[in-house]
Amino acid sequence: MSLIGGPKKNSQHLALFRERLRYLMAIVFVAFAILVARLWSLQVTRGEEYYRQTRRNVVDARMLPSVRGKILDRNLESIADNRPAFNLYGKAGDVDEEAFERIARVLELTADESASMQARIEKAHKRKRRSSVLLLEDQSRDRASMVKQESHLLGELEVRDEPYRHYPHGRALAHLVGYMNQITGAEFDEREAEGYVSTDLIGRYGLERSWESYLRGKRGVERFVVNAKGERIEGPDTDALIEGARFVPPVAGHNVILTIDLALQEHIEKLLRRRAAGAVAVIEVETGKILALASTPSFDPNIMTGHLTRAREAQMLSDPRKPFIDKTLRQYYPPGSTYKFVTALAALKESLVSAEEPLSCTGVHKQGRRVFRCTSAHQKVNLEEAIQHSCNVYFWKLSERVGIDSMAQIALSFGFGEPTGLGLNGDAAGRVPTKQWYEERDTFKIGHTLNAATGQGDVEVSVLQLAMAYAAIANGRRLFVPLLVDRVESASGDVVVQYEPQLRRMVDVSDTSLDLIKHGMWRVVNEAGGTAYEYARSQMLEYAGKTGTAQVKSMRRRDDDENLKDWHPDRDHAWFAGYAPAEKPEIAFVVLLEHGGSGGKHAGPVGQAIVEAYFEGRPPVDDDSKDLP
Amino acid sequence: MRRKAATLLIPGPRVGRSRGQSAFADFDWVLLLLVLTIAGLGLANLYSATYSTAHSAKFSQQVVWMSLGTLSYFAFSMIDYRNLHRWTWVAHVLVVLAILAVRFFFEAVKGSQRWIMLGPIRVQPTELAKLAVILTLARLLHDWDEYTIDRRTVIFSIGALVLPVLLVAWQPDLGSASLLGLIILSVSLMLVQTIWPIIVAMLTGLAAMPLLWERMHAYQQGRVLAFLDPGADPTGAAWQTSQSVKAIGSGQISGKGFMEATQNHFNFLPEHWTDFPFSVWAEEWGFLGSVGMLMAFLFLVLWIVNVGIRAQGKFGQAICLGVAAMIFFHTVVNILMVTGWAPVVGVPLPLISYGGSSVLTIMTGLGLVSSVSKRRREI
Repeated sequence: MSLIGGPKKNSQHLALFRERLRYLMAIVFVAFAILVARLWSLQVTRGEEYYRQTRRNVVDARMLPSVRGKILDRNLESIADNRPAFNLYGKAGDVDEEAFERIARVLELTADESASMQARIEKAHKRKRRSSVLLLEDQSRDRASMVKQESHLLGELEVRDEPYRHYPHGRALAHLVGYMNQITGAEFDEREAEGYVSTDLIGRYGLERSWESYLRGKRGVERFVVNAKGERIEGPDTDALIEGARFVPPVAGHNVILTIDLALQEHIEKLLRRRAAGAVAVIEVETGKILALASTPSFDPNIMTGHLTRAREAQMLSDPRKPFIDKTLRQYYPPGSTYKFVTALAALKESLVSAEEPLSCTGVHKQGRRVFRCTSAHQKVNLEEAIQHSCNVYFWKLSERVGIDSMAQIALSFGFGEPTGLGLNGDAAGRVPTKQWYEERDTFKIGHTLNAATGQGDVEVSVLQLAMAYAAIANGRRLFVPLLVDRVESASGDVVVQYEPQLRRMVDVSDTSLDLIKHGMWRVVNEAGGTAYEYARSQMLEYAGKTGTAQVKSMRRRDDDENLKDWHPDRDHAWFAGYAPAEKPEIAFVVLLEHGGSGGKHAGPVGQAIVEAYFEGRPPVDDDSKDLP
Repeated sequence: MRRKAATLLIPGPRVGRSRGQSAFADFDWVLLLLVLTIAGLGLANLYSATYSTAHSAKFSQQVVWMSLGTLSYFAFSMIDYRNLHRWTWVAHVLVVLAILAVRFFFEAVKGSQRWIMLGPIRVQPTELAKLAVILTLARLLHDWDEYTIDRRTVIFSIGALVLPVLLVAWQPDLGSASLLGLIILSVSLMLVQTIWPIIVAMLTGLAAMPLLWERMHAYQQGRVLAFLDPGADPTGAAWQTSQSVKAIGSGQISGKGFMEATQNHFNFLPEHWTDFPFSVWAEEWGFLGSVGMLMAFLFLVLWIVNVGIRAQGKFGQAICLGVAAMIFFHTVVNILMVTGWAPVVGVPLPLISYGGSSVLTIMTGLGLVSSVSKRRREI
């Protein structure tokens, strides 16, 4: 017996072996074919995609925030500015449970802060666990220096000094300037192409929102090569891996310069803050530029930007005075007697009354079964006297002569019933009712005309509309589009856009009629018996105005309103609108105190203070009364 | 009764040009060329994979292992493999003892006991077990063929063969255990006369899989689960694989060039010197390079099988088929593993992966094949 075996046995055996060998070969070839196919699919079919992924693996980018443009007043005083803020960054992959607990303990994080940090880490885990992401936003200097010093305890964190939006004057002009907060998921999806990143703040309200594209600037980027741990690798061969520029410097946003006079604005806001709710507009009559536009109650955009706590937000949203509604633009009110000039001009235009014709007022006016009451029995009054005393009966009688549609025509001509064209914060149209308007809803009654004659019933205007109309009265029929932004400048000071005053139209009334109205308004303030004479006459200069006390439709005080002592939702709205000086007017103003009471008594002094403040320094307002919450 | 295998020691008839005049008479130069080519590629690749990393010393260590391996290759090709017949049980028992020693005397690494520490040298007995099992199996097949063996001996022999497989699985090192099993199965399927008992055993084994799952360690289950659903755990086991797949894919057709693999150089590839060197190769040399390497392995496997066909007797045939199976399964499993089609089970790529035990085992096995080739029959 040999190792080869007997010849017969061996050949038998070999035959079997060869037969099985075919299967063996088939298996070997199929196996290698599968491997080749797999490699083909990875390297040839999908190779390019994987190549890009490996590039992304090693190239990380750090965003260099751009400095957002400032918002400045006409004297270049900052209203919205930037301050340095300490943001804490970290890599989600580094912050495990142990590190998280330690960071929370050492920095003494509140429950809110821990929760938001936890959320950010979880989000980062899904996308980029080895790049630095923002973990704690806008930290105190103490915490920032703690992170720098205690690196053995807080080594996972990195402090970055990044500009943060800041409003040096707090509440001043809050409604116009607005605020910023974090971009939402939906907005981010829509605007990613514009270069937003998911942690960006975006202008949320006011100018910050409407002028976002000018203010924003352009973020820069620094690209670098990292290893699997996210450590930065520098070397000659690393540059070749980076596609695109290694360093793109950020471009600062443009500055927006307003027509606002911040000193006047702040003075007005101080005056208003002593009232529960109200609004003021001051317009330069020759240009339509807005000098001041205030709405109270207001909010502090510094609190709104980034970190409003839920409790505070809920409190602000539930405030019946609606601190988020811009009462100069968004809200409309019955204008009351400030609207009477419309009735007068309509009657004069159609020659249905002369300047001298006296109409008698017995204190009541009967219309069918309804009785309309005047403030007192004015006896016989002509047009100017009717304006001076704000005699309702006179205007009711006029309105019966002219009808509601002729009045509406004049009102529309003065810009009521349509947006002012400012294009900010939902600039409201208000309402100028016509016969047709009533018939579309119900039946038209003569009572509607009487209501419209005194700015009651369904007439609704915004504060800014009224101010633009008074500016048109003051400047001789020129109705302007309100101008809020004077110009846009680049960070280096070059003018990018300059905005010029824009005339909307010449109001279709005669100069003689207008002079009658203006003289009537002069008498309101400067002649004994005028509704503002007692409360708002100025020793400093003569100016003209018209008071209004607008009745409020069935408003009920709600139980939960009781904590606001000065808030009386059943009281009348107090109006005072006018222009100053009476000769050669420079400014037009409107004061509205929501549920503030009588126009002359309550709104009048505020108007007087505004006029005097504008023309002679700013006398101090006694600030002993505390701001309402 | 067993007959004394005296005939085994008598050299078989020599065929060929030279008849033993020199040590290199009938030497298989093709095999040597193939082996050195693959080993060379492996060293170059390891150099690139570890260059300027914390593991750069591994290259010079591997050079030492390769040199020792080459010495072993020549030594075993010079020895007449038939003389090893009588030493198989010795080798087998030593290996089993070594595996037991690992289990009981040495510390676990990553939950698994695989290493014998001899000072600075770490020996992995599972690698040597592959060789011992091939030799034992070869002897068994040979003895079966040549002698009538009683049932007790058969059962004892099969038991002896299965024992190291079970011990390795117990370490636990499922990858190596499966490979041992695959080697035994494939050689048996080729050389045993009646193969139905083997097929029955295979099916039984498959049926026992759920039972095995129960016994698996958490990290093993994790790997398998990660393999089945890579999205579930992007940071752990599946992360390794997904980075490896990216590395391979990013090589595209012609690769990024030698030493230009970013996945590797920036440490995105875990264990790139042991389990994932092929990823480095594929990233740097692309589809062309990867297929080239595969072809080298394919050619090597086919050449060894070819040597096996012409071997004199089952002992030589079984050695060749065993070594071919060892190289074939290591290659296929490793590449499936790094391309994401198999769980990460720690199977090295022959001569490309870093590791002294693996290099020595493969080189010694190939030396045996060379020895068989030298004493082949002429057909």
